[in-house]
Order: sequence, then structure tokens, then C-alpha cells
Amino acid sequence: MAKVHNWQLGREMEYRFPEVHPNRQFVAVFNTNRCIACQTCTFACKSTWTFSRGQEYMWWNNVETKPYGGYPHHWDIKLLQMLNDANPGGQTWDTSSQSDDAPYGEFKGMTIFEAAKKEGKDNAIGYIPTDEEWTSPNLYEDTAKGKPGVPGEYHPEGAQLPEHNTWFFYLQRICNHCTYPGCVSACPRSAIYKRPEDGIVLIDQERCRGYRKCVEQCPYKKSMYRPNQQVSEKCIGCYPRVEGTDPLTNGIPMEPRCVATCVGKIRLQGLVDIEDGHWAEAPTNPLYFLVRKEQVALPLYPQFGTEPNVYYIPPRWVPRQYLRQLFGPGVDAAIERYTNPSRELQAVLQLFRATQKIIFRYEIEEGEEILDTEINGRRVQLFNDTIIGFDGSGNEAARISVEEPFHIRNGDFAGQFQNSI
Amino acid sequence: MGTLSSSRRLSTGILALVLVGAAVLTLLDLRLASSQTITLVAKRSENAIPLDDPSADVWDKGAPIQVPLSGQNVVAPKGGDQGTVTARALHHDGKLYIRLEWNDESEDASTGRQNDFTDAAAVQFPVEHGESVPAFCMGNPEAPVNIWQWKASWQTGTGASVLDVQDVYPNVDVDLYPFEDEAEFYPASASGNIVARADRTSAADNLLAGSFGTLRAAEDQMVNGMGSWDDGKWRVVFSRDLEVAGEYAQFSEGDSTNVAFAVWDGARAERDGIKSVSQFMTLEISPEIATGGGGGLSGEAVGLFVVVGLVVIVGLAAAGSYLLYTRRQTA
Ligand code: SF4
Ligand code: SF4
Repeated sequence: MAKVHNWQLGREMEYRFPEVHPNRQFVAVFNTNRCIACQTCTFACKSTWTFSRGQEYMWWNNVETKPYGGYPHHWDIKLLQMLNDANPGGQTWDTSSQSDDAPYGEFKGMTIFEAAKKEGKDNAIGYIPTDEEWTSPNLYEDTAKGKPGVPGEYHPEGAQLPEHNTWFFYLQRICNHCTYPGCVSACPRSAIYKRPEDGIVLIDQERCRGYRKCVEQCPYKKSMYRPNQQVSEKCIGCYPRVEGTDPLTNGIPMEPRCVATCVGKIRLQGLVDIEDGHWAEAPTNPLYFLVRKEQVALPLYPQFGTEPNVYYIPPRWVPRQYLRQLFGPGVDAAIERYTNPSRELQAVLQLFRATQKIIFRYEIEEGEEILDTEINGRRVQLFNDTIIGFDGSGNEAARISVEEPFHIRNGDFAGQFQNSI
Repeated sequence: MGTLSSSRRLSTGILALVLVGAAVLTLLDLRLASSQTITLVAKRSENAIPLDDPSADVWDKGAPIQVPLSGQNVVAPKGGDQGTVTARALHHDGKLYIRLEWNDESEDASTGRQNDFTDAAAVQFPVEHGESVPAFCMGNPEAPVNIWQWKASWQTGTGASVLDVQDVYPNVDVDLYPFEDEAEFYPASASGNIVARADRTSAADNLLAGSFGTLRAAEDQMVNGMGSWDDGKWRVVFSRDLEVAGEYAQFSEGDSTNVAFAVWDGARAERDGIKSVSQFMTLEISPEIATGGGGGLSGEAVGLFVVVGLVVIVGLAAAGSYLLYTRRQTA
């Protein structure tokens, strides 16, 4: 095993291969606060990539209801249990050592790679879910956690901030196009690779021999076996769109289908430049801003050790203890920044779903103050700034103000069109 | 005191002799192509050998050898359940036939479910038969190996009947498969990946490798394979023309080459490096007519086995009587 640096853990960790980085990395931010679980993303993916024979059970994108839901069932609880078995009580963080390079402090426990040695496994611990576990992908949809220890009963004061006593939230999941992919480290044939141009992780369909080591060792369970081809397949990050080869945009890089179709406007995807193994400073790249500068979006289960590249704005009503287990120790600060957004964050949040072209850079034109009030004892100010997003060719791709334009339908249309809602 | 130390000296001496004998065997077994300890002899069969019946009587004419297997423990993923495989070889009408037979409690011939792994077996030859043999695990870059691999699942999926979800779960209901017949929606088979072939005609593949992780399908698929499982036992027959065009193992009457075997147990999720393997042995293509006898160990190997066996027996007897003797003394 080699030593590699994992910034999400604030330390070096063991990995099968020495540290190699792409020139740019596929990064996405999902705002869990906004998701309505319509599953449009899920079906956009399905109808693009996994509608064929042998892929019936595959949902490269899925949205599960936490805490009970999971596709495959209980995938994360199983992994957490395996890690705890390998390192009982030791999966902790030292948050005193937080810095720009280690924004969440230092992880003191074992990653899936480090636990492998202890457990006598090859490269990482893991398991292959059964057919049954892959069924009912939306099991426990909208099932809330109520009073602890009292099944079937809602808490009488269920919905009071900062932590609801009766709660659930939606977790949107795709392949994380990890920096240190569990799937890549698992493959005995080196049939899985991370592309230098965008960090997208792909299974070479010509080399794969269906050994399913990647299915076993992807902690997020996003590598999937296709029985009628006897090989594994996985989310391809809609790479033709990211490359700009989709005819729709004439060579301009575009976001993946699950991102572009998002009804709740919760998703934003982009590419960050990597220099010397680090995210190159790019304060006006929206992804860089949200993850590294504002630190309002956090990795999912960073303790697994793969350095996943999908980041989540945590749901602000959910008990923090649970969220810290999912998103690490950055949760409290992220929720604080999201609920009291800076003037810049207010503008950047408007970029979500303003265009399906990838935004590489933004500019903000200041507008007038539109609100100055007090909420929960805090002063809240809103400014009607305008944010302009620029695409891969440096052209304006989106322009949107904090106060969105309000249209009143012309009365002439009454009776001409059926009002659908 | 004196008695004890002299008994210790004697047993140390015996142990040393045994170890030297074993080391000589191991050395011979490992490296020298001409002196592999076990020889599988393929004699000429007067009768045709049916591919579709691996239990056919004709195989009684092939002299069996028992080949010990051990778990692959050189590179990850390691593993394999140790056991023994019985091998026989014959040739008939310009074709070489090898039959492997091993115990396996369950027939695992499907890869239709996520946790299904198939039973499988392989025979391996050096591409070029030379002075020394390639590494028995997947060969070396300068000494590649030719592997014939049979999988029970390929037998299930031979021809057009690739295993679909409907085959595994007959009650499954699927509304529609858009673009069902367009090749690009089956990317592994569209890219020519041999494991995803829909037009498979044999359950054995012709493969090449030059070290771990380099296994690839050969350009020419010319190996036939068929297995049948009965009452806790697999019997699998491989066959190919003795001589073929291309950079593959070649066989000719009167010549020898090397052969090694591997077996995978699907029930134990064995695949890839998780397998039971043998060392390289000698494979002799004999012009003699197969009658059921002969084959087995080569002359020199038999000699060595006899010597080592004698040393072990004499040593054990001596140590035993010595122990008895000293016990009696102390009693
Ligand atoms: S499309 Fe957007 S809002 Fe709908 S389920 Fe997916 S992520 Fe949530
Ligand atoms: S999420 Fe899983 S499949 Fe995707 S890159 Fe990471 S380890 Fe590989």
C-alpha cells in the first residue's frame, strides 16, 4: 500500500496506488434542503443509460429517505458496522487541528483501506449486496424517525428547529468519482480508471471480466454487476456531456442528466482545476466557492477514505449527531453558514439550475438591499445582486438575480389554456 | 540426558534428510521443463472422443494422474480451496483432449444473480515449450502462457440464450426495453469483450497471459470445452487441434510440453486469483495406443519419490522405536 494525502481526512492514508491526480476533477454539490424526492433525476439517468436488459435493477442515480432508506438496503449502516468492528469505538475526529488544508480536522479512525489490513482483506473492506438488497430502491420513502425507542409514534413537538424531533430527509446519490476510488483499488485487472481530463471514473467494458471486486469494495455501492453481460457497470458521469460532445451545446461542456433535470434546483455540477494534488484556488468557481471557501457543502461519509467528490449542503432540521456521522464534523458550521448566508452565498445559490452548461466562473453585480429584518433574533439582510455564470468558452451562460423576476399571467389567457395546477 | 540428546540428534538428521529430499522435488517440480515430476501422457485413442459426454467410456483408456492443488497465494485476490484434480489426456484424429475431474459439492453454473459465481476450470501451457517453464501463475512477460478456460456459466449461456433477469426470476415484469436490439446498449459485448459474447459456441475460451492481470482473449477462438456435474463431481473435457496457426501452445506426437491446472468453486465466490492451482507438469503426446495403463509419474520422479518415501518410512520407524526404547528405559 502507498501513502496518499486525503484532504477530507486532514492526513495521509494508505491506498493501493501512489497518489496521482487528474488535471480537473468532476465535482457536484447537492443541496439536501431543497430536494422534493420527485425522482426526476433518477428517471433522467435511467432513461439515458440503464434501460436495457440486465440493467433492470440499476439506478446509477437514486434518492433515498434517511435515516431508514438505502439503495441497496442499509448499505451505509453495513459499512459503518464493518468499520466499527475493525476499529471498535475508534472512528473519531480531532477537530482541534482544523485548517484550510484540513477543513474538518483530522480523522483518527480507520478508512475502508486501512481496515483491510486489520481484517485480512486485500485492498479494502466491503461486501457484495444480494439481489434482495438491490430490490425496492425506495423502500422507507418518507418514513420519519420519531420518538427514540417508541416505534410508530410521532414526537408531539416534531418540527421545532434547530433539530426536529420527528424527521427524515432525502439523500441523493450518484457515483462520487472519488479521488481514491475503492473500485479502482479493488480491480485485479486494472480495468477501472480515473480520467486525467475530468477525474471521471470508468470501467473499461472491454477489459472487465465480471469479478465484482469493485462491487464489493465501492463503499457507496455505485459499481453494479450486469448479469447478462457478465461484467460490471457504473455511473459514467454523463461524460459525453461533460466533454461537450452532446450536440445540444455545440462543444460546450454540459452538466450530467441527473443534474440538469433537477426539479427542486438542488444540484450543481462543475469541474475544479487540480494543481500539485490540491484544488487550485478558484474563488469564483461556484463549486470551489461552496466546498472550499464557504465550506457549506460536505462530503458524504468522508471517513470511508475514498475522498468522494459529491458534496452535500446538510439538511438544517436533522439532529446533528446523525448528520456528523454522515458528513463529518463540518456539519455544524455548514448549517450555520447556510441558514445565515453571506451575501455572496445568496447569489451563488441562484446558479443552481440556471443553465445546463457547466459554469466555470461567476461574476456578481451588486444590487440594492431588498430586505432588512430580524429572524430568530438575528439581523437578516437581502440584496438583489445579479450573478452571471460563464461557460467553458468564457461566454455568459446564465444571468439571474437574487430576487427572481415575478410574472403575472395575462388575464387574456384565462379560459384558453387549462390550468394544470 | 545423554539418551535424550542422542535421540534428538537422530531425529534432526532424519528430518534434514526428508527436507533435502522434499527440496529436491520442489526444485525439480518448479523450474526445469524436462524434469517435471508428474507426467500426463496423452496416448492415441482408437475411438472418437465425444465432447458432449465428459463421462464417456473412452476415458477409461486414458491413464489418470492425481494432481494436488493449492490456494493461489502470490497476488491479491488470494485464496482457493485446496484439493485434488484427476487429469486424463488422449489424442484422436489430430486433436488433443484433456479431461479434468474434481469433487465439488454443488453445481454452480449461473452468474444470473449478484452473488452467483460460476464453477470453472482451466488448463495452462507455455506458449513456447522451452528449457524452463513460465511462472505457473499466469506466466511471465518473456514466457507467456496459453490458457484454456471453461466456465459452467458459459455453458449455461452458450448460443443465444444469455442469462436474462427473466431466466432467473420468471415472474419479473418489465414494461419495455427501448432499442432492445441495438448493440451499443450492451457495451461489453459491443466492444468485443469475450466474457459478454452473445454468440458463444464453446464454453471454453482461448486466452493468453504474460503475468498477473494481463489475461486477454486470443484472436482465434478454437478451444472446445464441455462439462457435466453429477453427484458431487465435475468432469470437464477440453479439446483443440494438436497443431494450429498462431502464437499458441502447439502439440505433436512424440513431443512433450508442460501443463498446469486451476479450478474455481463458485459456491465459495472463487473467481480471478481466488482459485486452486497446480504447478506445471509434463504433458507428453505419445504415439502409443491408449489402453488404460501407463502415464503417471516419470521414471526419475518415481525414483525420487521412492527414495524420499523410504527415507520417511525408515526415519519414522527409527524415531518410533527409539521413543519406545527411551520410554521403557525411564519407566
Ligand atoms: S430531481 Fe432534484 S428534487 Fe427531484 S429527487 Fe432528484 S435531486 Fe431531488
Ligand atoms: S463512488 Fe464507488 S464506484 Fe464511484 S468512484 Fe467512488 S468507489 Fe468508484
